[in-house]
Amino acid sequence: MLLQQVLNGLTIGAIYAIIALGLTLVYGVLRILHVAHAGIYVLGGYVGWLVHAASGSLALALLAAMAASALAGLLVERWLYLPLLGRPRIVPLIASIGLFIALEDLFRLVFGPYALAFGARPPLPSLPLGPLLLTPAQLLVFLAGLLLVGATWWMAHRTRVGLAWRAIAEDPGMASALGVDVPRAVGLNFLVGSALAGAAGVLVGVFFNAVEPTMGSVPAYKGLAIIVLGGLGSFWGAVAAALLLGVVEALAIGTVGLLPRDAIAFLALILMLLARPQGLLGER
Amino acid sequence: MQRVAFLAVLLVAGLALPPALAQQGPPIRIGLSAPLTGFGAPDGLSVRQAVELGVRQLNAAGGVLGRPIQLIVYDDQAAPPQGVAVAQRLIERDRVVAAVGGSYSGATRGAAPIFAQNRVPFVVGYAVHPDITRAGEYVFRVGFLGPVEGAGAAEVARIYFNAQRIAMMTMDNDFGRALAEGFRAHARKRELNIVGEVIYPLGEKDMAPHVTRVRAMNPDLIFVSGLFNEAALITRTIKQMGIRAQILGEEGFDSPKYLELAGRDAEGVVIVTNLNRDDPRPVVQTFLREYRAAYRMEADMVGASSYDALRIIVDGLRRAGTTEARRLREAIAATRNFNGVTGVLSFTPARETIKPIQVQVVKDGTFRFFGVITDPEIITP
Repeated sequence: MLLQQVLNGLTIGAIYAIIALGLTLVYGVLRILHVAHAGIYVLGGYVGWLVHAASGSLALALLAAMAASALAGLLVERWLYLPLLGRPRIVPLIASIGLFIALEDLFRLVFGPYALAFGARPPLPSLPLGPLLLTPAQLLVFLAGLLLVGATWWMAHRTRVGLAWRAIAEDPGMASALGVDVPRAVGLNFLVGSALAGAAGVLVGVFFNAVEPTMGSVPAYKGLAIIVLGGLGSFWGAVAAALLLGVVEALAIGTVGLLPRDAIAFLALILMLLARPQGLLGER
Repeated sequence: MQRVAFLAVLLVAGLALPPALAQQGPPIRIGLSAPLTGFGAPDGLSVRQAVELGVRQLNAAGGVLGRPIQLIVYDDQAAPPQGVAVAQRLIERDRVVAAVGGSYSGATRGAAPIFAQNRVPFVVGYAVHPDITRAGEYVFRVGFLGPVEGAGAAEVARIYFNAQRIAMMTMDNDFGRALAEGFRAHARKRELNIVGEVIYPLGEKDMAPHVTRVRAMNPDLIFVSGLFNEAALITRTIKQMGIRAQILGEEGFDSPKYLELAGRDAEGVVIVTNLNRDDPRPVVQTFLREYRAAYRMEADMVGASSYDALRIIVDGLRRAGTTEARRLREAIAATRNFNGVTGVLSFTPARETIKPIQVQVVKDGTFRFFGVITDPEIITP
């Protein structure tokens, strides 16, 4: 049972990881705490739901959600964050929170206040691993998580775009002087991060068979907790913190019982800030 | 009150249709409190639609006491403070002669003492918490008391499934706790074997850790309390984990939203509830048919219970012959063998209902008749 709970936790952790990666990408380059990321994630869930309802294809729904979210992310970057970049850091943060709340209400108005059933059955088998059981939905989350994390890592560490991101993170002025097309690299950064959020929205929609306007509220703050836990801007730190949090939550609930699940992330956050302010894998 | 005015959704129904018979005098105002927004919104919609249908039917048939009925609806968001505010507004501003409680236990528990203190009859549709009717002489309940329904569920586990190893999944709120209490008490009396209980919070999404614990208990029947969202997630997780135990639910499952969200995993799930769709009595079939025609969707338990609450108030008005509060209360308290959609029901001196507990099964994506619990020892609160 303990191992099954670890597996349950890793599934939720994989979802957290996909959401947090987009956040940490954005933070790594622009140093903005992108709360509206969770709004983009909900958008992905709804676009995926619409496309799946119309076409019946989960793959198409996933692609459409990623495309729509990427575009929305780019618009947010161009119209909201770029004009505010010179301001104190609290300004884009507040704008981001405002946008997130507005998006939540927009979804409520357009799609109604209640959960919509996704109704997708992932075309995957149930995988028994000895005494453990990996359900088709869990398998889908793992496979998608592996693929997305792998692709993002490759992009950030093995391509010229990734190099440009890291250069901008070090010093935007210097990067620009050395011929890096900063606006293009930052735009791409938002495209990739937001596409991840869109994919996560669809995965969660399929996993819980529900897309609803408020589905972003927990990821909005838990995502921030995760990237701080992992070390702001750290790629593997975010992944490790996400998986760890998922497992700790599942074990706490699965063994002790009734615990305030969502408080665990913040207890961990407080302890981490006291003991190791740079985060799990962050650098001072 | 400013905030209440801002938050509350005011809907006036019953004015649109021309009366079939001559009606004189000002309309009789009846209030309705329902969770129109927030997590209970689908139930709130069912309640509002069903009660509005009832008002249209009654007005088309000439109203009551020669006057039309005017329904005043507010949103309580299923939140206790909002329930209090709505009750005060209905009483002080709208001066309703009586009100239908179309919300969950939390908001209704807040509202009940306000109606009791102001001596305005308040007939509650489906909220299950025992404290609601204890608020005072003016508060009545059409639905089951939580412990009664829980005991009914335990009886279903015994007589229909001969369950040997029962696990419980209890939602941690008024509703879930009240059901679990009744279930445990009856299980003890009948010496049923409860192998364990998992308690989960309202609004939980990831059910895997909870269901994994239940799986380790190796049950042959799982009694689940929850509202349609939680119920659907638990049903899916149980099926995905390959657990073959019978799922036994309660009235929180009784919603088209549950069937939609749980999909084919809901097949074979058995619930205890207020509404029997296969009841041949004309009052039931007419309600189901006219509801379907009006709203292009299936009626559910919360709608049917609130519809009955409205008709019990109107029946009381007819027998009292006046809107005067004390005499209306006496007439409602004297309700016996009322031919309701949720059963032929009577009120006890404690203003609780006595009616059979319906047992329904999900078959081909709809709720159908499975059985009924009539044992007076169980259904008498």
